[in-house]
Amino acid sequence: MSQNHNIVAAAKNLIQEHFEQDPHLEKVIWIDPNQTKEIRLLEITPETFPAGAVLSFYFPPDAEFPYAMTIAEITPNEWQQVLRGEIPLPEGWTLENHQTYSGEVVTV
Amino acid sequence: MSERQNWQTAFLKQARADWEAYQKTSRATWSACHRLQFLQMASEKLGKAFLVAGPSSLETTTQSHAAFVKFLRIVSNNRKLKNLLNKKRSQQRKHFNQLLPLAYEIELLAPALAQSGPNPEYPWKDAAGNVLAPVEYPFQLLQQLQKTRQGVQLLKYIEIFLTRFEEFFT
Repeated sequence: MSQNHNIVAAAKNLIQEHFEQDPHLEKVIWIDPNQTKEIRLLEITPETFPAGAVLSFYFPPDAEFPYAMTIAEITPNEWQQVLRGEIPLPEGWTLENHQTYSGEVVTV
Repeated sequence: MSERQNWQTAFLKQARADWEAYQKTSRATWSACHRLQFLQMASEKLGKAFLVAGPSSLETTTQSHAAFVKFLRIVSNNRKLKNLLNKKRSQQRKHFNQLLPLAYEIELLAPALAQSGPNPEYPWKDAAGNVLAPVEYPFQLLQQLQKTRQGVQLLKYIEIFLTRFEEFFT
């Protein structure tokens, strides 16, 4: 099994878990899914504080989850501001290559 | 400035420095115990920066390690936050209550509260009689922080409260 396949499965599992944990979660944007070492997720939920910025949190890989990941959550309104270019994404993030997941089943 | 304001400023400065250290250790390949130690210290001092302005005696507030959960409980009624979150008071309380179990886990990392159990600073003896070093211990709390929605939310609140403390709490 390729490393890319593994990280895809890990990311989709994580996204699925987050949808299960938060019924208010509207969308998850997987930024640059071709990355093989880090999973970057932008999660859109009205249940988060509207900080007016994309605050992201990095988690290094460990024995249980062998991929680094960075997660940020923003409100739906902030997401519209991101799309309009009014709120910048974290450094190195771009929407040029991303996948969008809604509340439906995330196929692993 | 009153003496309590001086304490508040000092706790806030130290909390911000501890948080910066937490973020740096997260980016690097530091061990889990050190990352968690900085997180625990930042959150405790954030709580103290808030509580030191309250009615408790200065000595009680500065010497207690149990400040973060108490802080979050009070914050769950904060009117400025309520307006920004656009929630009813009961919804806001429920929202913050969901974060309390993880906050409590962070608070219990303080060696004085760990009751001779797992903590990120000093070795301890487990139930089987093994003496364990924090640097070798797989803290489950890190998994909870990174894999649950509450984990990211709690980290986000810590960052927002530290950077915008004066706006919300003074």
